[in-house]
Amino acid sequence: MMAKAFFGTNHPLFDTFKIDIGIVNDGHAEMSMPFSEQLSDRRGSLHRGALVTLLDTTCGLSIFSSLGSLKPIATIDLRVDFMRSIPPAAGLKAVVECIGKTDTVAFISGRAFAEDSGELLAMVAGSFAIGTMGPTLDSEAGGS
Amino acid sequence: MSAKPISAEAPIMRLCDEPFVDFLGFREETLNGETRYFMDFRDSHIGNPMIRTFHGGILASFGEVTAAAHLARQRGDDEVPLCSTMTFDYLRPAFEGTLQAIPNIVRAGRRITTVSVQLRLEGKLVCIGRFLFLVGRNENENKT
Repeated sequence: MMAKAFFGTNHPLFDTFKIDIGIVNDGHAEMSMPFSEQLSDRRGSLHRGALVTLLDTTCGLSIFSSLGSLKPIATIDLRVDFMRSIPPAAGLKAVVECIGKTDTVAFISGRAFAEDSGELLAMVAGSFAIGTMGPTLDSEAGGS
Repeated sequence: MSAKPISAEAPIMRLCDEPFVDFLGFREETLNGETRYFMDFRDSHIGNPMIRTFHGGILASFGEVTAAAHLARQRGDDEVPLCSTMTFDYLRPAFEGTLQAIPNIVRAGRRITTVSVQLRLEGKLVCIGRFLFLVGRNENENKT
């Protein structure tokens, strides 16, 4: 299963962020992360950088799910608009759609929410190159 | 050198208070009165474990933290501003190594300030970012 392979091998960043996979289906991906002191800012909220990292990761998963494979992809560009401050001690949820793709580029659009209240915190848009450098992400595990 | 009587220390102290900034391993060095911004590769920064590149979200975070620190320093603020929009272009894979961020205040308007940041790996340009902050010109700046 793709989402498993995405996380199956030891991944220090995903471990640190305690990223959890929600619904993944045909270009739609949802991921969440709990509040973590280690990734917080001085206001006691998760840092915006943590939110961007969660969004970027969810973008990747939405594209893998649209491609139906773990072909290597790389972010070309990303735009994030912050609507409001991240509430103190709140976890985050990211919801991303792969809107369309050519043979070489995939386009995404998504949003980030406070996990409990459901408040909209940020929007993301971006494009990703498909079939970039390196082996497919599940090849280490011998495929699946 | 028209060294302005701005405390170079205050923003640094406040920035280091942030757990997320520690997690990034963000460092500042002063050389000939100019502040330089660095981030060393860590396993917890990995995006693609197969080729050991920095995660896109970590790169954008480093850009944002640098932009905010630079702007706070230029304004003489002792607290870093929050970015409202970030646009980030990934130009080359950012492999394991030490990144340097080079910030530039593109324009300080009445209400919005735009800061651009280049990320360089061994001198090579790997990313560029633009960060908008909802802070206006510092009135004191016009008096020079």
